[in-house]
Amino acid sequence: MWKEIEAREAGKMRTNSFTNRIKSHRVSTLHLSNHKDIVSPHRASINSLQVDLTEGRYLLSAAADASAAVFDVQRATDYEGNGNIIAKHKSIFAIDKQHEQGHKYAISSAIWYPIDTGLFITGSYDHYIKVWDTNTTQVVMNFKMPGKVYRVAMSSLSTSHMLIAAGTEDVQVRLCDIASGAFAHTLSGHRDGIMSVEWSTSSEWVLMTGGCDGAIRFWDIRRAGCFRVLDQSQTQLGRRPPVLERSVTNKVLMSKSLSASHNLSVKPRALQKKSANGNSMKQTPVGRIPAKGSAKQRLHPGMLSCHDRATAHYGAVTGLKVTEDGMYLLSAGSDSRIRLWDVESGCNTLVNFETVRLQTTKAIQLATTQDSALVFVPCMTTVKAFDVWTGRTSLSFRSHYECVNCCWFSSQDQDLYTGGNDRQILVWSPSRLVSDELGDRFVQDTDNWSD
Amino acid sequence: MDNSKGKKRQREIEIETEQGSDTAQPFSLEENLMFTDTLVALRIMRAQFPHMDKVSIQPFILQSQLYSSVKDRTQVDRELESLRRQKVLRIFKLNTGQDDHAIMFLDDYLNQIECVVKRMEEKEQGDLQVFEWFRTHVVYSKLEPSIEHQELCSLLSVGGEVKDRQISLLINAGLLTRQLIDSNMYWFAIPNIGSILKGISQGRKELLSLLNRRKYKEMMLALLEKKHLRLSLLDMRFHIRDLIGSGHLKTIQTPTGLVIQVSKD
Repeated sequence: MWKEIEAREAGKMRTNSFTNRIKSHRVSTLHLSNHKDIVSPHRASINSLQVDLTEGRYLLSAAADASAAVFDVQRATDYEGNGNIIAKHKSIFAIDKQHEQGHKYAISSAIWYPIDTGLFITGSYDHYIKVWDTNTTQVVMNFKMPGKVYRVAMSSLSTSHMLIAAGTEDVQVRLCDIASGAFAHTLSGHRDGIMSVEWSTSSEWVLMTGGCDGAIRFWDIRRAGCFRVLDQSQTQLGRRPPVLERSVTNKVLMSKSLSASHNLSVKPRALQKKSANGNSMKQTPVGRIPAKGSAKQRLHPGMLSCHDRATAHYGAVTGLKVTEDGMYLLSAGSDSRIRLWDVESGCNTLVNFETVRLQTTKAIQLATTQDSALVFVPCMTTVKAFDVWTGRTSLSFRSHYECVNCCWFSSQDQDLYTGGNDRQILVWSPSRLVSDELGDRFVQDTDNWSD
Repeated sequence: MDNSKGKKRQREIEIETEQGSDTAQPFSLEENLMFTDTLVALRIMRAQFPHMDKVSIQPFILQSQLYSSVKDRTQVDRELESLRRQKVLRIFKLNTGQDDHAIMFLDDYLNQIECVVKRMEEKEQGDLQVFEWFRTHVVYSKLEPSIEHQELCSLLSVGGEVKDRQISLLINAGLLTRQLIDSNMYWFAIPNIGSILKGISQGRKELLSLLNRRKYKEMMLALLEKKHLRLSLLDMRFHIRDLIGSGHLKTIQTPTGLVIQVSKD
């Protein structure tokens, strides 16, 4: 460690590589925290966890007993243990069924407003999405959905819109606008409920949804219809080669036959040459009438994707996570498979993650480290960290008594928060040097001599 | 250490299989558990496919068996993908479990189709042209495990005019099955595989219950592979590889050899 600091001082190592090295070393020593504890007020399974994106200080948790709580993870409420080394974090406030504007059924998803922690949004099985003011804990806005809300998401990059994307048991994705209090528009194309919704981390207009029909669709909310449906049989072997090595001509193939010609998809023929101009190739000119069986309807070109029945998983898609650089998408399905997709080409990179079983009925929340080297996946009662490019299990966290539903990795201090059906929120932190523990707190020097 | 033993054994096995004896049982599973390469693993497992009297079926390998035999699963997936694209083998989705796939070499698959066609000719079940069209036009052009109805019709119509009852012939022969979720899509299937699929799922249950009944839920591999399964036509080695690959069993190295244990996750 000191050698590295010296190298950094002398300029032999760049700042970025120095911080990355320290962070990845800390991540590799993650274990159940022996100095931090979160006292959960929830009385039912925990469905969602999120630390706010602006300061990395407040943890928002949502549970199945219609309660949501906020914790300050940097400042403990009191200390316990011998020498006051265990920091206990109690909730700053909690909202539950007793609250007059509270939810009536389980809250499936709670997220912070991405710009600041003044607002948070909760979506529940009672068909409502509520926007709360954090300081007064009052509901500011209410949106009624046609079905149980499975997931809500807001884009952390957006500068021009304040839309909440809601995935419900209804087949349409709805976008709710906080600024106006009304629904902006709906996105159709899925054939069953939508369990996971994620905004892209590279574009404020791109939304990715995973449905119970096994399909993952990419939507540009400025247009109608989705512009890409991920197909697990469209594969590429690993990372795409950098642009200069690829051939200049785009190889576009008609992969489906004449009758399905309105669904052009790009299939890479040679293993190394990838072309990814899916956007412009997806829609046929307006005049062409697709002859599919006997239904000769004139479809809007944006809606042609609803005929595309490609599936990304053999079961429902239960979790989605976009890497922070916006280039790769991880998806978990109820077929107990996790797949890594290349966002630009829309291909399955065929990385095999060694999962045996994943939860099939509920949505799970995945987490990645900031440099996207590890992905944390709740696998039944354990949380496993997989290496993103080789698929090997690198760490395994086993402490929950029942199934784990959600996890969140705080990249600021390399802490992992996990919540499960056993009503606990557990904290996993990197190991500390002994000298740190007794650092700034006053420690009573007590002897155990009898006299 | 297992790997080096495995390589030595591989060479011996290859010599033996060339000489024609493919039902040799003296190869203990313990020494042949891991292989270096997917194609080598496929060939050896194909040679070790159990010989069954009641059902005539060409050798196939389950994808979970490959995962237990080659260390790096991502490498297995990628090599399978490139072999599939080179038309060396075909992958079929089975209905026995969540993510079960069977891998069969293309020649074996075509042989299997031949057997089925011959049997249908004996029973004189009508116009068998469609099988010829299927073989020449569909098998070589559509490499995925599933196919859409429209595409099937258009590929078959390269040979001649396609009628619905001809597609029913294909389904009756067991070459195609309808998908449950989507009535317009078909899965490619291996004909005559029904009893074997039943054997696979029952054999898995039997093997797991055999180990679960024991006090510590484990057994030495050398002893385990000598047992016989009552309910399955396939042999113990097949099932052990399959369950290790799907994660239900795990192997522990002990001073006296490999021990198979039921995994707790």
